[in-house]
Amino acid sequence: MADPNMKFLVVDDFSTMRRIIRNLLKELGFANVEEAEDGAAALQKLRSGKFDFVVSDWNMPNMTGLELLQKIRSDPTLKHLPVLMVTAEAKKENIIAAAQAGASGYIVKPFTAATLEEKLNKIFQNLGGAK
Amino acid sequence: MSNMANGDSDELEALFDSIVRANAQADGQAGTLVERSGQPEEPPPSQGRITEPYYSQLGHLTRKLHETLKQLGYDKALEKAVDTMIPDARDRLAYIAALTQQAAERVLNATDVAKPIQEELEIRSSALAARWDCLFRNELSVEEFKQLVHETRGFLEEVPRKTADTRAQLMEIMMAQDFQDLTGQVIKKVIDMAQEMESELLKVLVENTPVEKRAQLETGLLNGPVVNADGRSDVVTSQAQVAELLESLGF
Repeated sequence: MADPNMKFLVVDDFSTMRRIIRNLLKELGFANVEEAEDGAAALQKLRSGKFDFVVSDWNMPNMTGLELLQKIRSDPTLKHLPVLMVTAEAKKENIIAAAQAGASGYIVKPFTAATLEEKLNKIFQNLGGAK
Repeated sequence: MSNMANGDSDELEALFDSIVRANAQADGQAGTLVERSGQPEEPPPSQGRITEPYYSQLGHLTRKLHETLKQLGYDKALEKAVDTMIPDARDRLAYIAALTQQAAERVLNATDVAKPIQEELEIRSSALAARWDCLFRNELSVEEFKQLVHETRGFLEEVPRKTADTRAQLMEIMMAQDFQDLTGQVIKKVIDMAQEMESELLKVLVENTPVEKRAQLETGLLNGPVVNADGRSDVVTSQAQVAELLESLGF
């Protein structure tokens, strides 16, 4: 079972979607959530504070979710972070590109609360297995 | 796509030619009209009827615009606008309409479910409270008191189930707002598309404005950028640079 105090960073350029994901995480028992409006802001937050999990959109100004994912994976202090992509980009190329860049999971918008819970649990299981 | 474009071009040319021919026949000045094609902005000096110079001018302008578009590759840009951008924008707007309607229905359905639950809780708790008030006024028999305690206990056991149902509906209302992110992205694409079309049409307008008026038009259009361009080398500041840039982009 995942630690309910783990700290999430929700990255999306739309405040409504950030609020929705924050509320869903709270509903699943994770109340320690911070938000960033694009990849650049997210990277800054990740580098200045300790986070345990990243949930990121793809299509954002300044820095996209894929670029953010690549930066995280190439940063020795951040590369271990689980990154769940939650995006409207539903093409196979997108999903493959995200997987190749090291995404921990991929959810296509619009999504349900059950989907988010399932993907989170799967990632937690993988994390547990890796240890 | 290119076949269609050629078809369109042929049709345009045929239309143009038919106008010129009709004009020439009516006037008996076919030679003059063809010779004039280089300077369409000059109206033919001697015309018998009022409508003819306008037909002729319109024809020449159409020809000039058509040739310019072809030369500069704008016919492709406009063809793209007509063939793909407008239907694409239409599809995207239809998608927005569908998503927003769906969201509105989800919210209304959720409130339809939640409202009766809340009303029932309100009515039943008020009724129980009224009977407890009776108890405190010593108006209840022992049997009635026992009944009240029994019913109150049953009600309290039921409340968490009812509130959980309501909370599920509140979650549903929250999830219904996910359309805003999706429609927002789509609206942004439609706006970008409209801007692209606008700039293409502006380019066509600039290219087809008489030279003496063009300078005037360009200052108007480029006013903002020139102000920002002061002391910068990474912006285009002259017509020559514009031409160079367009050429490098394949126009």
